[in-house]
Amino acid sequence: MTKIINSNEELIDIDDEAQNATQQIGYAWEEEYKRSWDVLQEDEDGGLKHTVEHLQSRKRKRLERDTSIIKRGIIRHMFLIIDLSEAMLEKDLRPSRLDLTLSYAEQFILEFFDQNPISQLGVIVSKSGVAEKLMGLSGNPMDNINVLKKKNIDTDGEPSLQNALEMARSSLIHVPAHGSREILIIMGSLTSCDPGDINETIDNLVSENIRVSIVGLAAEVQICKLMCKKTKGTYGVVLNEAHFKDLLFEIIPPPPVSIVKSKSELVVMGFPRGVNESIPSLCACHSKPVSGGYICARCNSKICDLPTDCPICELTLVSSPHLARSYHHLFPVANFEEVPWSSALTTHCFSCQMPFQTQPQVVKGRSNNVTSIDSSGRYNCPKCKKHFCIECDTFIHEVIHNCPGCLSTSENST
Amino acid sequence: MFLLFINHANLLIICFRFFIGNLPIYFPYDKIYPEQYSYMVDLKKAIDAGGHCLLEMPSGTGKTVSLLSLIVAIQANYKEKRKLIYCSRTVPEIEKALAELRNLIEYRKKCGEKDEYLGIGLTSRKNLCINSSVVNQEKWGKVVDARCRNLTASWIREKSKLYSPGKVPLCNFYEKMEKDNERQKMLIPDGVYTLEELREYGKVQGHCPYYMARRTIPFANAVIYSYHYLLDPKVAELVSKELSKDCIVVFDEAHNIDNVCIESLSIDITKPNLDASAKSIAKLRDVIEEIKKKDSQRLLDEYNKLVEGLMAASQERDEDVYLSNPILPEDLSHEAVPGNIRQAEHFVAFLRRFVEYLKTRMRAQQVVAESPMSFLQNCREVTLIERQPLRFCSQRLTSLVRTLELLDLNDYYALHKVAAFATLVATYEAGFMLILEPFENDTIPNPIFHYACLDASIAIKPIFKRFKTVVITSGTLSPLDMYPKMLNFQAAVQESYSMTLTRNCFLPLVVTRGSDQVAISSKFEVRNDPAVVRNFGQILVEFSKIVPDGIVAFFPSYLYMESIVAMWNDMGILNEAWKHKLIFVETPDAAETSLALENYRKACDNGRGAILLSVARGKVSEGIDFDHNYGRAVIMFGVPYQYTESRILKARLEFLRENYRIRESDFLTFDAMRHAAQCVGRVLRGKTDYGLMIFSDKRFARADKRNKLPRWLNQFITDACTNLSTDMALVTAKKFLRTMAQPFERDQLGVWSVEDVERQERSNVGAGGRAAQFN
Repeated sequence: MTKIINSNEELIDIDDEAQNATQQIGYAWEEEYKRSWDVLQEDEDGGLKHTVEHLQSRKRKRLERDTSIIKRGIIRHMFLIIDLSEAMLEKDLRPSRLDLTLSYAEQFILEFFDQNPISQLGVIVSKSGVAEKLMGLSGNPMDNINVLKKKNIDTDGEPSLQNALEMARSSLIHVPAHGSREILIIMGSLTSCDPGDINETIDNLVSENIRVSIVGLAAEVQICKLMCKKTKGTYGVVLNEAHFKDLLFEIIPPPPVSIVKSKSELVVMGFPRGVNESIPSLCACHSKPVSGGYICARCNSKICDLPTDCPICELTLVSSPHLARSYHHLFPVANFEEVPWSSALTTHCFSCQMPFQTQPQVVKGRSNNVTSIDSSGRYNCPKCKKHFCIECDTFIHEVIHNCPGCLSTSENST
Repeated sequence: MFLLFINHANLLIICFRFFIGNLPIYFPYDKIYPEQYSYMVDLKKAIDAGGHCLLEMPSGTGKTVSLLSLIVAIQANYKEKRKLIYCSRTVPEIEKALAELRNLIEYRKKCGEKDEYLGIGLTSRKNLCINSSVVNQEKWGKVVDARCRNLTASWIREKSKLYSPGKVPLCNFYEKMEKDNERQKMLIPDGVYTLEELREYGKVQGHCPYYMARRTIPFANAVIYSYHYLLDPKVAELVSKELSKDCIVVFDEAHNIDNVCIESLSIDITKPNLDASAKSIAKLRDVIEEIKKKDSQRLLDEYNKLVEGLMAASQERDEDVYLSNPILPEDLSHEAVPGNIRQAEHFVAFLRRFVEYLKTRMRAQQVVAESPMSFLQNCREVTLIERQPLRFCSQRLTSLVRTLELLDLNDYYALHKVAAFATLVATYEAGFMLILEPFENDTIPNPIFHYACLDASIAIKPIFKRFKTVVITSGTLSPLDMYPKMLNFQAAVQESYSMTLTRNCFLPLVVTRGSDQVAISSKFEVRNDPAVVRNFGQILVEFSKIVPDGIVAFFPSYLYMESIVAMWNDMGILNEAWKHKLIFVETPDAAETSLALENYRKACDNGRGAILLSVARGKVSEGIDFDHNYGRAVIMFGVPYQYTESRILKARLEFLRENYRIRESDFLTFDAMRHAAQCVGRVLRGKTDYGLMIFSDKRFARADKRNKLPRWLNQFITDACTNLSTDMALVTAKKFLRTMAQPFERDQLGVWSVEDVERQERSNVGAGGRAAQFN
């Protein structure tokens, strides 16, 4: 017994010594982990501005999108299918696949309705070989979120892709032709327990123009890949929590419309009047007394939230800002170009008026801080030729969807 | 340099052409991997030096196309016209090689090269026959052969001339070909024909594709067929006799070539074989009696011919030779057939005596291992049969069959086997062993006489001697020095190539212990230890949770697989695995296995996921690919050692030690590791594919095992992955699968364009024309 202890102690000693002697090399497993703090480099003043800017410009590169003007279906009908199999209990995504999925789903629904206000969404879950519709197609984000929050969601068995797809399909085939039909699946399991041939279901989905996109949480499954390819959807497998969110939010901009069904159609819509009453009255949607709300343009009933379908006359109710917000998907702001040092003559950002950095004097032998020399930090709108800083660039493309430079010049000209 | 050509469609075509030395090579893709280039350089070196070579390069990296590009370039540019003999293992592989060759030739044509090139493939009648009455969905190749002979044998055709047409059935395709053959010499226009195209061409022309292919062999620039047509003396004599000395012979997928050599000279005789032979002998005697009454002249003619000598008598057409000689041509005796078996009835009596003798030997109750010499001695003492007539057994039987104009030769199969056995025993002494095993598994009485060849070099020796350049290539040939030793030849070039990958598309993991830190191994002492079995099961279950679609698991043997699966069933491990994937099992029965495979693929396709439990030396491990979703992970349970108690293996090991100085343990490890490499290589069939390779046995972590793995595999075994427990392996595997699922951008890192190749070529020349070494 003592012998064993002795030998253990020896081992520990040896290990420590080895570590001291060869500190740079470390253990084999350490190689996998990059020391992110070593990557950061301070500039002369001890600031981290350059590094941060560098990181941001990398982020910007990723965000550059296709900005050609194509027809997109801004009226979308989507089913969100959530896998509730045992595989969702895995804790490889923090806090667990299930918790993360639910919280991201909530964010997704909010963002989805924010960007696509006149669309509709429903929720289906699948566990132990069956599918269950938690919420039919609805234009109200709160309905969907409440359903995910309220229900005591537990997991069991394997999911059934086919059952869930068939259920979504049976609801989607009734939607009018002007809207797009989509299914988004969040899939944690690697297996699917199907009653029949899933390939037939896929063929049906293809013929009915239903687009299926899948976010896989574990690994690439062939049938998912095939399904997304056939139905022209996207398929992604998450690497980590942040990537999961990226993949999910990629679905939010409306997809291009296939040319096949480019038939023009008129859609009846109501623009309700907003009211603010001093005495609360019952609303038509929840039957609760509320003071603020909207009055349906056709039947004069009171509704709490927009956009939605009128519960009385089933008219689609939207507000004009909603329509306008959907509009930017059709005419996106062009990607800004990076300005090289040679033409970086402006001193301030056009929109936020923050001063740009000036071109550093290139000193030979001092090129350790390559990032600041690489980019001038100015981004040029190709239409109005105004220069913007990186923050404004991101803000313009992600939030306001309008170029301040272009708007101001068009005002001047008229 | 890029060359621009304008072909008749006025399209600009950019050709990938470069020089090695001053040999212009066309490569039918627009990029080339560095290892492909160095493979070509080494191959050219070997061919120029007129020596044999041994090249190891992983499959799926364009080995075949590099090989063909270089050899076709040599054929087109060198003065002497060298023929390419390309041997592969299975029919699909032959088909693939033919398609690749056709692609290359078309590319060369497009680039303005005007070479007349004829490339054909050859396989058995079963695969090529287009006569519906012969093939008739027959599974057995032997039956198809026999039916074909019933329609095309020369005496049948003679006979049909005597009677009115239609009375004696003949094969229309064969007759048409014969007729056309007399008029024009060339049977088939230039081009490369895949097997399917050959059949199509045969159907259009009304020619028999099988005989057409066989007769074109002497004219063809490239012949692609199975190993056996060159190695197995029983077939080689028919097909490959007329090949000239300066052919370039290529053995692809040649990691098992030593076993093929050994099998081609080994024969097993069972009790049913002997019973069937006895029946055939009785039938033969009846036929002889009958003919004696009707047409005794025929027998007399044969007798006279035999007196003159057998060689003079063998001037018949190749179609008639059915029971060809089982021994190598150079060992063939050129003497006349001994007197005591010249008479037909004497020969039949002689055969009967020999069969009876074998029957008595089979009654033995214990295992007998003896040398061919002592067998012959014993045979002479008991039956007075001398060695000399035994040697001629096979030839004499062939001659008799021809004389008697027998039909349905399939019935005489067992007798032929016995005759071949007799001839082999009497011809070879060194390197052979006779083993009689009276019991199967030491309990069931099922006597088998093994005539086992122990020396792989005997069968391949004539090939090395006859041809100037023999190329042996495969994905798994490590360690390279083993093959020259075993096959007894000098390799001018032997090289193993690493693999250039745009991403690390496979991850080898060596799992040495379970999550409970108990070491796992298939070592005999611990293989049935419940802790080990449970840990093996744990690996299966855990990986079935994280790996999508298909998993293939390999066991060292059927026996071990059965016992483990039974134990798993008792432990509830199978139930656990069932939740995630369906489970299929390979059995020794081919039909059952192919059914299991079909369903396995279906389950991989429709998202259910499946596990295939199979055996490292079984059919699945050799010929079947598990690309993409059909195999995302392969698990080796234990090191696939051979069954070391086998008497044949023991004899072979002893032989190898005494004659080639290969230690038993070295050979066993080498053999186990080449099979392990073969198994794990099943999942990776190309650079866009990806897969996990899990070696679960603590013995895999040892350096002596690992350095016997091929270089391309070893290159990716990192130190961090060599000594893992199950849970550690799972974490790494999960991360790998996530990374691999990301969209794959084919960046051209590590791929060469023409300019890169030329730069490399210049630097080679600059270094005094020495060989390229840039791995």
